[in-house]
Amino acid sequence: MSKYVGVSVPRVDGVKKVTGAAKYVGDMKWPRMLYAKCVKSPYAHAKIVSIDVSAAKALKGVHDVITGDYYTKRGGLYLEDKNFLAVNTVKFYGEPVVAVAAETPEIAEEACDLVKVEYEPLPVINNPMEGMAKDAILIHPELHTYKVVPIFHPQAHTNISHHHIIRKGDADAAFKYAEEHPDEYYITEHEYHVPHVQHTPIENHVAVAQYEPDGKCTVWASCQSPYAVRQALSATFDIPLNKMRIISPYVGGGFGAKAGTTIEGIIIPLAMHCKGRPVMMEYTREEEFVNSYLRQGVYTKIKTAVRKSDGKFLAVQNNFYWDGGAYTEYGVNIVKASGFASTGPYEFDNVKTDAYCVYTNNPVGGPYRGFGMCEIHFGIEQNIDEVAKEIGMDPIEIRRVNGLAPGKSTGTGEIMKSCGFLEALDQVAEAIEYDKPCEKPSAPNKVRGKGIAGGWKSPSQPTNAGSAAIIRMNEDGTFFLMTSGHDIGQGSDTALIQIAAEVLCCDPSKFTIRTGDTDHTPYEWQTVASRITYCAGNATKLAAEDLKEKLLDLAQIKLGYIKRELYLEDGWIINRNHPESRMPMSDLALGLAFEDGSGYGGPAIGVGTFTLPNNINYDPATGYSPKPAAFWTTAAAGAEVEIDTETGVIEVKKMVESCDPGHIVNPELYKAQVEGGMMQALGTVLFEELKLKDGKVLNKSFVDYKIPTIDNTPETFIAMGVEHPEETGPYGARGIGEPAMVPGAPAIANAIYNATGCRFTEMPITPEKMLKALQEKAAAEKK
Amino acid sequence: MKEFNYFAPGSVEEALELMKEYEGKYTILNGGTDVMIRLRERLINPEAVIDIKRIPGLKDITFSKKDGLYIGACVTCKELAESEIVKENYPFYAQAASVLGSQLVRGRATSVGNVINASPLADTVTPLVACDAKLVVVGPEGQREVSLVSWAGESQEERIARGAFFIFVRKVGLKPGEMAIGLKIPYVEGQKAVFTKFDRRKEVDLSTVCATVGKFGDEYRVAIGSCAPTPIRLPKTEALLKGKKLTPELIGEAAELAGTEVSPISDIRASAEYRVSLVKVAVRRSLAELSV
Amino acid sequence: MKTYHVDFFVNGEEYELDVPANKTALNIIRDMLDLTGAKEGCGAGECGACAMIVDGVLINGCLMLAPEMDGKHFETVEGFADEKGNLSPVQQSFIDHAALQCGYCTPGFIVSATALLRENPHPTREEITHYMSGNLCRCTGYKRIIEAIEDAAERMNGGAK
Repeated sequence: MSKYVGVSVPRVDGVKKVTGAAKYVGDMKWPRMLYAKCVKSPYAHAKIVSIDVSAAKALKGVHDVITGDYYTKRGGLYLEDKNFLAVNTVKFYGEPVVAVAAETPEIAEEACDLVKVEYEPLPVINNPMEGMAKDAILIHPELHTYKVVPIFHPQAHTNISHHHIIRKGDADAAFKYAEEHPDEYYITEHEYHVPHVQHTPIENHVAVAQYEPDGKCTVWASCQSPYAVRQALSATFDIPLNKMRIISPYVGGGFGAKAGTTIEGIIIPLAMHCKGRPVMMEYTREEEFVNSYLRQGVYTKIKTAVRKSDGKFLAVQNNFYWDGGAYTEYGVNIVKASGFASTGPYEFDNVKTDAYCVYTNNPVGGPYRGFGMCEIHFGIEQNIDEVAKEIGMDPIEIRRVNGLAPGKSTGTGEIMKSCGFLEALDQVAEAIEYDKPCEKPSAPNKVRGKGIAGGWKSPSQPTNAGSAAIIRMNEDGTFFLMTSGHDIGQGSDTALIQIAAEVLCCDPSKFTIRTGDTDHTPYEWQTVASRITYCAGNATKLAAEDLKEKLLDLAQIKLGYIKRELYLEDGWIINRNHPESRMPMSDLALGLAFEDGSGYGGPAIGVGTFTLPNNINYDPATGYSPKPAAFWTTAAAGAEVEIDTETGVIEVKKMVESCDPGHIVNPELYKAQVEGGMMQALGTVLFEELKLKDGKVLNKSFVDYKIPTIDNTPETFIAMGVEHPEETGPYGARGIGEPAMVPGAPAIANAIYNATGCRFTEMPITPEKMLKALQEKAAAEKK
Repeated sequence: MKEFNYFAPGSVEEALELMKEYEGKYTILNGGTDVMIRLRERLINPEAVIDIKRIPGLKDITFSKKDGLYIGACVTCKELAESEIVKENYPFYAQAASVLGSQLVRGRATSVGNVINASPLADTVTPLVACDAKLVVVGPEGQREVSLVSWAGESQEERIARGAFFIFVRKVGLKPGEMAIGLKIPYVEGQKAVFTKFDRRKEVDLSTVCATVGKFGDEYRVAIGSCAPTPIRLPKTEALLKGKKLTPELIGEAAELAGTEVSPISDIRASAEYRVSLVKVAVRRSLAELSV
Repeated sequence: MKTYHVDFFVNGEEYELDVPANKTALNIIRDMLDLTGAKEGCGAGECGACAMIVDGVLINGCLMLAPEMDGKHFETVEGFADEKGNLSPVQQSFIDHAALQCGYCTPGFIVSATALLRENPHPTREEITHYMSGNLCRCTGYKRIIEAIEDAAERMNGGAK
């Protein structure tokens, strides 16, 4: 019965994007614009002894040179630990130390060369274990004084900026019981490691800041979350919110990298010195690799107790050691998410999870599509395959036995309501014919294998995160929809229009959406967490309903029938019982006009505001929360790989995935999201690793950091879905962008194991590692 | 990029004069796919950039069975990969040209530039080395031809003494003021060779190992890239194979021997051990293909 | 700063400019002509966002020096729709197949796909992936791009091989 929701409406931004007309920040120009560049630290950890900027300042064409001393106030989303320019010490290789604004990028670059900085190197913390060591040097000695959102727990005088605890049932007692009953129970432990990876949106970070004489600061930024950026920068630079405007036009991909603040905090203080001249800063690709957020690395230990007879899980103990990097203002929340999702989409009666966010001298960790889920599921889902093998059980069957379904309980004690995980699993198993042998390999030196994995994700956001939407009707019956949910490629502009169109029963082509301007478009907490279709979607639906009610209020006067008798269709308001009694909606755009010339009601505008319903903070001692997050999206993926046993080259021949996005708003865009997530997962598991040595990034270019090309598209590449509507979602929808990426990597890793018998506890699984493992396995078998 | 003077000479003579004028301070610009990156990253900061693409005659491709193939310095990899002459007579060379970089890069990159760059992993170089190709250079003392062959086990001094082109990584046997204008690639009746490229990602990647293994008359030639400071030929492996009929045993023996002749390093792209494994696979598979 | 006089065409329109040596063709087309469809994603010929067709050949605009532009004919994404604004078959096909997301790489893909279909009106899937692999997309997963190109070939030339 729905007309526009559930339909594959073409992307509303399609024409602009295929013609090159879509303008991104880097495509814009301002009169008298200046260009900024930074001097960056050549050390991963060092004391700044002295900075001499005199020669840089003297260079012709240089307008301003600033150091961290200019603005020492720290900022940060959840934990205020970050300086945009280093103060006293540098904490990662590449950290900006000095910023320059000049007439051209070349002059700015030359000025940077003229800056002299003297450093005194300090010991480098390379990984979270080093950071947690007893005698470790403290990267943030003043951590105990930092301002922090109270749901996070920095450990004073350590490098631990958050420790997230989950205690469900009594895991220690359960393991003890299992140990005492070895005939009945099996206990096993496995370890995994996921290195740092980069988002690599094709558009590098770019921003322009202008500071006008009246104290108005305007920032044009390729950012996902203009309101969150506004909040963070306002606090850091003491600019009132009404004087701080963030504009985010088209954004060339985010994947989390553009969720927080990065270069905005460098150009604002520069702009403050440049007398109203706009200051632009654009990362080079090399800077993008080092200076935007990284996906944090994580070391995982999983101990599982399982009943041998039927594979029912008894208990799990998870230890996650996150490599937060030099600043964890955003990373702490990822660690929290890894805690409350630590069981994966499975039921355990006894859970003991300790997730640590640890400072290291690696580049700054932050949000990345999946928000911790891709990283922990690489372990969780391989662990399940290992457990299944060790007790002689089918990997799908063990997931069926333990998988979450309505009525089952999560690690935080939440009772699942709508959840199609098991159905998605079955759909995937069927699509890759998991129960049948693989196709014959394409050469005698090749082997094939299939694997599957599950996954889940919920938005890790403040429990009261809000969204707002406004819909205005024009005199001709067209509409402006305004929200600050940002379309960074995922298709939210189209989906939100579909939701509004559905309520107002008008073709989506009648709507124009405006987003991303904190002076004009209404509040949205952030475009992250796969929350826009759900949160901004709910706000949009409420705004459309508000407008609809207002129109009907007026129409009942005009038509002389009570409004419950009226309905909307294709721009008309029609009486259900007397269809000839009707009027165009557009007649009410400016209010109601009576025959005597008088009017009533005013211009048609609808407002919708939405706050997450009944999300509740967790108990810090146990992690318990009956509703820690808005919804859970579950997913399952399957893969079939072919491996050249002489070279180790791995090719993914088939990849399929099914998610439960509730009710799908736009089937083609849904599938496109899932396909994108699958490919990004494929990239991380086969190619991607930001290689770090003593904190230094060794592969900061596409030459040596490979992401998938079109050639890596598996021959069979299928996105599917099961639809179990979310009761609080707009038309039953829930988020999908991130969950789509979660199960792909472990599915491929499991397929590789099934093809070769080689288990990889670390990604990426490169041809070199593959060949080495095959050679070692052959050598072991000889013995 | 820092500032520099740009010149687009209309003749080789004009180019040579500019090279003299800016001695030690110029960079020759051909396809630019490497030079542009080095300029951008300020790894080179020349006073003059001399663009040779407007010099007539540097786009020539000619072939005769007697004289072999001649490729002008400015022939792009796209042109090489699509050339009927090259595809018919040197298919392995056309194939190497077709996997260098991306389609976009191949539209500009040249095989001569690939040679001049003197990177050990240059994709189009092992076919040239296998063919005993010579680089044609001109300089103040006129025109000469320089051999592209370097042998495994040879020292830098030996290469310099022999007048070889590839001396070490990014170190070549060009005299001051000389520039390359083309490649001469001999033709041996019935020649057959196999080009192999192993990389981390199948498309648009640098070679982890590349190789050209071929039969030229009664000799087998084995040219390997990315396993020594320069692309190299493997003398012991070639000697083992010379004049013999390829049997599975001989092929296996040759592959193992080839693995001992190379001297790769471990770097960010691969370990030395992995490269040795790949050399063996490349040699074995290539010889197997040549044996049928 | 020394400049170089260049006379060239972009999408059929002639331009005469004085350009510095240390800028790229991409810089000139974006910054001096305000044709911002071609993007700089890496500046090193690795991502293809700056794809343009020069004298009929597909290249990376970031790897050509500004003075080299003299006498050349450039085609960029802005040149493909007709005077009435009708999209080219490649452009239309990308929309129809939802073969774009953030859109930043899209102009490069449209340019490369257009060059491909001119050179090879009936490409196989392997020919498409080989030709197009210099264009990176982080959003789509590529499947729809392959389908869009196959479909564009169908629309323009009656189909793939």
